Amino acid sequence: MSAPPRWARWLVAVTAPPRDRDVMLGDLDEEHEARVAAGDARGARRWYGRQALRSVGPNRLRRLREGRRGTHDYGRGGGMETLTQDVRWAGRTLVRSPGFAATVILTLALGIGANAIVFSVVNGLVLNPFPFPEPERLVGVGAAFPRAGRELTFWESLSTAEVQDVGQGATTLERVVAWDMGNRQIAGEGPPRNVFTGFWWGDALRTLGMEPHLGRGFSDEEVREGRAVALVSHRLWRESFGADPSLVGRSILVGGSPHAVVGVLPPGALLYGMDLWTVMPAGMDAFARDRRQFQMLARLRDGATLEQANAELEALAAGVAADHAAAFPEYVGWRLQARTWNDINVGILRPAAAVLLAAVTLVLLLVCANVANMLLARSSARRREMAVRSALGAGRSRLVRQLLSESLLVALVGAAAGLVLARLALGGVQRVLDSMALPVAGNVAPDVTVLLYTAGVAVAAAAVFGLLPALHAAGGDVREAMAEGAATGSASRQRLQRGLVGAEVALALGLLAGGGLLVNSMARMGRVDPGFDAEGVLTARLTLQWEEYGQDGIRAFFQRLREEVGALPGVTDVATTSQFPPRSFLRNRFWIEGMTLESGGALPLALTTVVSPGYFKAMGMQIVRGRTLETTDVSGGEMVGVLNEAAARRWFPDRDPLGARLKLGGPDSDEPWFRVVGVVADTRNRGLDQPTEPELFASQQQAGGGNQYFLVVRIDVPPRSVLPGIRRAVASLDPDQPIYAVQTVEEAFEEGAATRRATTLSLGLFALFALALAGVGIYGVVAYAVAARTREIGLRIALGAEGGRVRRLVVRQALVPVAAGGAVGLALAMVLGRAMEGMLFQVRGTDPWTLAAVTAVLAVVALAASWIPARRASRLDPVRALRME
Amino acid sequence: MPTDALLGTFEMVVLLAVVRLGGDGYGVTLRREIEERTGRDVALGSVYATLARLEEKGLVASHEGASTPVRGGRARRLYRVEPAGLRAVEASRRVLSRMWEGVVG
Repeated sequence: MSAPPRWARWLVAVTAPPRDRDVMLGDLDEEHEARVAAGDARGARRWYGRQALRSVGPNRLRRLREGRRGTHDYGRGGGMETLTQDVRWAGRTLVRSPGFAATVILTLALGIGANAIVFSVVNGLVLNPFPFPEPERLVGVGAAFPRAGRELTFWESLSTAEVQDVGQGATTLERVVAWDMGNRQIAGEGPPRNVFTGFWWGDALRTLGMEPHLGRGFSDEEVREGRAVALVSHRLWRESFGADPSLVGRSILVGGSPHAVVGVLPPGALLYGMDLWTVMPAGMDAFARDRRQFQMLARLRDGATLEQANAELEALAAGVAADHAAAFPEYVGWRLQARTWNDINVGILRPAAAVLLAAVTLVLLLVCANVANMLLARSSARRREMAVRSALGAGRSRLVRQLLSESLLVALVGAAAGLVLARLALGGVQRVLDSMALPVAGNVAPDVTVLLYTAGVAVAAAAVFGLLPALHAAGGDVREAMAEGAATGSASRQRLQRGLVGAEVALALGLLAGGGLLVNSMARMGRVDPGFDAEGVLTARLTLQWEEYGQDGIRAFFQRLREEVGALPGVTDVATTSQFPPRSFLRNRFWIEGMTLESGGALPLALTTVVSPGYFKAMGMQIVRGRTLETTDVSGGEMVGVLNEAAARRWFPDRDPLGARLKLGGPDSDEPWFRVVGVVADTRNRGLDQPTEPELFASQQQAGGGNQYFLVVRIDVPPRSVLPGIRRAVASLDPDQPIYAVQTVEEAFEEGAATRRATTLSLGLFALFALALAGVGIYGVVAYAVAARTREIGLRIALGAEGGRVRRLVVRQALVPVAAGGAVGLALAMVLGRAMEGMLFQVRGTDPWTLAAVTAVLAVVALAASWIPARRASRLDPVRALRME
Repeated sequence: MPTDALLGTFEMVVLLAVVRLGGDGYGVTLRREIEERTGRDVALGSVYATLARLEEKGLVASHEGASTPVRGGRARRLYRVEPAGLRAVEASRRVLSRMWEGVVG
């Protein structure tokens, strides 16, 4: 089978008049086929090619002739023909002025690209963070215990008894599962590694609505009997098991005990980086009613709404309170609440997402104003062209449409370039996101939604920046336009340009103010004293196996590890702790001896941290009263504890805490009494932007049933240089013991501020871009105005006006739209600042200093931008200026 | 467009081809007819350009015909001569033969 040459067919298709295109292609195919059938395939191809080439001329002539007479409108495809004509004409116009086109396209690419980037990130993190079907029906249930000082939380929020209360009582929920999270050591290929593990009651894949990548989820029987079965994450399967499909059905060691792998999770089901799912070995009845360390996940039953579920949960909570408040006083006034999984996990990002989307839209508007200005500036030349075209019979609507086609073409090319930029930038964003422990998969690669959004943005932008100049250029009087010189321009255009500059200034000021407020917040946060010496402290986490070590073994291990690490060169102090600022999170209720609880008052609640002696010194925390925890405080001796100042202020407002006794739990708990021996200075234990929480410290030598501790090492050399030494020290004690979560305290603070920093950085960049655009816009308009007034200025100089006067005249006139735009911009800044108040730190949304500073910056840029053309004006040679035109 | 204006040579050739094929002529056959009679491999683009002009002058008319697989499903467009076309052929011949009289051929 021989086919006609492809190039020739293409040539015919492109050159043939639309009406005859199909019949011509058909005729050529038919003749070609006949010649092939006659046995001369090569000759047939040659003939086809010749035909195509020789038809170009006649086709072209004919289209010109018919186009001129307008007869091309008969038959099919008339409208399409006009459109392609418009687009082709637009393309030619742009190619003829490549510098102009490049500037416009680059500006648009930056504006549209910024939109694509922000939208991609928002789409991947906030709008569609999870791949689960019907995300609006996937809910978590959280609890608030106002009496115990516990706000609504969805993490470590419920006890198993409460999960059962909800699971059995709520008719609006189905597929209820609950889980706990922790670290487990697994033996795969290579050295053993710690993996973040979920311990489940139920088949969460069913709740999520996902199919396993391989194998199956947990069966009801496995869950009921607490069997040793496991699901591994897709990434763990790849990294540690070589993506071997035969892993399913095999047994792996989890924490030393064999677990049968029943399946591999799909890539999108990676929750909180849990690489391993196992069935909770204990039944739900094995846990106390107030042991709240579990999370709950469920789906709304068909037809049930979130409001109905919450109404039902409210009633359920009241019932539980009635039954159990006598034994568990925290139930008085407690609350259960369901929220969508998306809300729970990414709700916190929404304000930042909204601000960034708003900001990037303002940037695009500014870009549009700028491009519109460029198009207007160019329209002096174009107006003659338009006039000629309209004199030859083109209607106004046709001209507007042609100009809009040009805008659309530019916008689409800009959008394509913008998408390329976005792809590059998003690659970097993705790498940063991947390195963070996000609750979501966080895939920000541009998808179809992003493409559609970007295309929509481009079309909208084309309409915004194209319409004004198009109407302007296509309107107006032919004779006037023909008579107009290139350097003079209509007053209406200058009015339009000044209006656009005003708009640019307003937008830029709004963005600058937003960026300024965030930068100000960031700076203030940088000046917050963490309350200790956060510099030069390296931390690493270790989890020992209970079964292997037991409580005494764990204490002894960490004791010896501290000695080994303390002997490393460069290490000045070493300690262990169950948590450290800024991410302390473990809280406990406690009771002070002799305290009376006013009815309805909050039960005392504080962060409870178990530390080794030497922790305060290693962290650089100051003892304010009493003494620190000493190595002489050993088990068997009197149990001692230290409070932070916040706890002392809160519960010992008018007496000395030293010597007081307190214990964990309520008044009736069996926990041992601790004597308060010291008060330590407050640290920002919940992050720099959070108030200090009351905190109790106990000694690891006396208390502390935990098996998971952080090693904190103060170092006077580069922190990570001692890491190999630490690893060797750990290996010398237990060769199979991995250390993980290696981080300096400073990095931990930075991570806590990551969203804030990303938002600040983005908005700051947008603001700078806006400032640059506004500067260019002002410069363009003033330069144009100067050019238009060359003769007048020349005359003034000839009549003796000094350079300074001319400069002032030009600048003063330029600053009128700047001032007007500035006023509008201040109003915009106020609105934006109000909307951002939740994201600010120690700064009001209408902070006068920030507003004054950004206004000053903008004023300087505006002055500079108008000064350059003003200076040129003052140096005009009057003779040449007057001779012009 | 006055139909009694003289046709150009190629217009004449194409119009005669349409007449010769008696209403069944379309691109392929018309082009072949011309090639066979004149010995010149004419470009299909020229044929269609001329047909369009003739149609505009009301000398020929066209309608869509059947399509065949060989044509990739594209329809043929069949041309037939209009009464004005026949008159134009006649007129041209009369004028030309009168002009030829006495010219050494």
